[in-house]
Amino acid sequence: MNLLRLALRSAWNRRVTLALIVCAIALSVTMLLGVERARIAAREGFSQAVSGTDLVVGARTSPIQLVLYAVFHLGEATNNMLWKSEQQIAGDPAVAWAIPISLGDSHRGFPTVGTTPAFFEHFKYSLGAPLAFSAGRPFSGLFDTVLGADVASHLGYRLGDAITLTHGSGGIGSVEHADKPFTVVGILARTGTPVDRSVFVSLEAIEAIHLGWQGGAPPPGGFSIPEQFVRKFDLTPKTITAMLVGLRNRAAVFHVQRAINEFAGEPLMAVLPGVALDQLWQVVGVVEKSLLAVSALVVVVGIAGMAAAVLASLNERRRELSILRSVGAGPRHIVALLGIEALLVTGSGAALGVALLVALSALTGPWLESNYGLPINALGWSVDESLLLAAVVAAGFAAGVLPAYRACRLALADGLTPRL
Amino acid sequence: MKALVFIAALLACCAGFARADYQVGDHLAKPAKPSAHGAYQEIDWDALMPKDWDPIKELKATDLGMMRDGDPRANALLLKMQELWEKAPVEASLDGKRIRIPGFMVPLDEAKGKVSEFLLVPYFGACIHVPPPPANQIIHVVPDKPVAGHHMMDAVWVNGTLRTIRSQTRAGMGMASAGYRLEAQSIEPYKQK
Repeated sequence: MNLLRLALRSAWNRRVTLALIVCAIALSVTMLLGVERARIAAREGFSQAVSGTDLVVGARTSPIQLVLYAVFHLGEATNNMLWKSEQQIAGDPAVAWAIPISLGDSHRGFPTVGTTPAFFEHFKYSLGAPLAFSAGRPFSGLFDTVLGADVASHLGYRLGDAITLTHGSGGIGSVEHADKPFTVVGILARTGTPVDRSVFVSLEAIEAIHLGWQGGAPPPGGFSIPEQFVRKFDLTPKTITAMLVGLRNRAAVFHVQRAINEFAGEPLMAVLPGVALDQLWQVVGVVEKSLLAVSALVVVVGIAGMAAAVLASLNERRRELSILRSVGAGPRHIVALLGIEALLVTGSGAALGVALLVALSALTGPWLESNYGLPINALGWSVDESLLLAAVVAAGFAAGVLPAYRACRLALADGLTPRL
Repeated sequence: MKALVFIAALLACCAGFARADYQVGDHLAKPAKPSAHGAYQEIDWDALMPKDWDPIKELKATDLGMMRDGDPRANALLLKMQELWEKAPVEASLDGKRIRIPGFMVPLDEAKGKVSEFLLVPYFGACIHVPPPPANQIIHVVPDKPVAGHHMMDAVWVNGTLRTIRSQTRAGMGMASAGYRLEAQSIEPYKQK
C-alpha cells in the first residue's frame, strides 16, 4: 500500500512526461482495437447480408465478382443472363424459389434493383431473418417502387412521393429517366445489409423505362414514349443480371451447381455465396493482416517510448531511489515501484484508448453503417479485443520492469554523493 | 526486444493464423473400431452407403486399361458415373439413429461469426475444388442453435439424430433429391490423436 502511494507520488512529480506517454499508448490502443473492430464489422456486414440463398447464378465471371455485384451491388456486371434461362432454372423441381435481379440504374447514387415480389417473400438475411416493411407494401403496379431504409431516411422520402431513376450509377453525364416517375409504395425496415441502400422496382418497370433505348443510350431527338402507351408494349424482360436460388434439398447444392455450370442454353455460373465470400476473405486477409501488423507496430512504438522515458527518468530519480534504499528499501521494492508505475501508465493508457474507441465508434458508427454498411457496435466487446488489450498491458509491464534491473545495479552511494 | 517478441507472439495467436493444414482430398482418420459415445453411435462415412450400392460398378464392367487418355468412351463413362453418384441411394435403416460422425464443414448460412446450417463432407476440399462426392456422402447439418467459432473446411465431430430424405419421383437439376439431414445436438472441433 505504501509502495503504491510512493509510486503515485513519484509519478505525479513527473506528470507531464508520463501524461504524454499515456496519450501515446492510448492512441496506439485506439488504433489497434479500431482496426480489429473495423475488420470484424466488415466480415459481419458481409456475412449477414445474405442467408438462406443456396446459389447465386449469373453469367460466367469470377465467383467473387458475381456475389459482389449480385448481392452487394458493388462493381459492374460483366454480362447478363437470358430471362428464358431464369425461367427454366426457376421452374426446375430441385428449385424451391428463385429471385431474379436486374441492375444498372440508380437513384441519387443508390442502386436500383429490378426484381419480382418474390424478393420480399424469400430474401433472408442474418441467419434467416425475413424482410419487413416499416411502411407500405410490396410493389404491384408498373411504376411502383419500394425503398430500403437508408434511402428513405437519407433522402427524406415518404409513401406517395414521386422519384425518377438515373441510367447507370449516377454522376456527370448520366441520363435521367425523367419521363417516367415512380411512386413510393413501400419502405423496408432497417436490416444492416445492402438492402437498406437499394431502390426496388419490378422487372417490367426496368423494361419500360428503357423502351426505345439502343445500346445504353436514349432514343435520339428527345423522343420518348408516354407513360400511357408504355403498357401496350411487351414488357417481359429479355435479360436479367443475376438470380438468387433456394433449393428444396440443400444437400444437393453441389450437384445443382454442377448442373447449372453445364447449362445447355447459355454459359452460366452458379456459386455458393458462403464459398465465394470465403475466397474473398482469403484475398482480403493479407491486407487485414498487414493492417493489424502496422497497428501492432504502433503499439510497440508507444511502449518503446515508455521504456525510453523510464530509462531516462532513472537518471532523474537517482537521488530518490538512493534515499529509498538508504532507509531500507531492497531491490525488490525498487522493482515493485517501477513495475507499479509501468502498469499504471499502460493501464491508464489502455483505459483511455478504449474510452476513445467507444466514443469514436458511438460518434461515427451510424454514419459508417449507413454509408459503408459496416455494423460497428460501440459497446460490443469481444474475447479477441480483451486478449489484445491484455497483450498491450503485459508488454508495457515487461518494458517498464526491464530498466529496474539497471536501477538495482546502481550503487547505493551513487545517488547520495553530490556531484560537482 | 522481449516486449516486441511477446506482443508479436500474442498477436499471432489472436489473429488466428492457425488453420488445420489439410490437403485437398485428405480424409479424417477412421476410428479404430466404431464405439458408442454416450447416446451417440460413432459411425464412419462408409456406413452411409447402402451395402448393395457399388459406386464404381460402371468402372468395373469396363477394362480401363484398353482406353487411352481422353478416350470419348472414358469421358462418357465418367459422366455416367457422375450421374449415378447424384442418384446415390441412402441407407434407410439409419433414419432416426443418434450418430456421431467426423467430417469437414461447408457453411451454408453464416452471420455474426455463427453458423446456422452447414454441409458435412468426408474429405478436405470436397465440392469446392473438385467434383462433388456421391449424394449419400454429403450430410446437411442443422444444429439446434447456431454454433460459433467454426469456419469453412474446419474438421468437426457432429453428434445428432440422422434423418434420411427419400428421393422424389421427379428429380430436377443435379438429380440429387435423396440425402441425409442431421439434426445436431452438439458440434466439437476434431482433434487428431
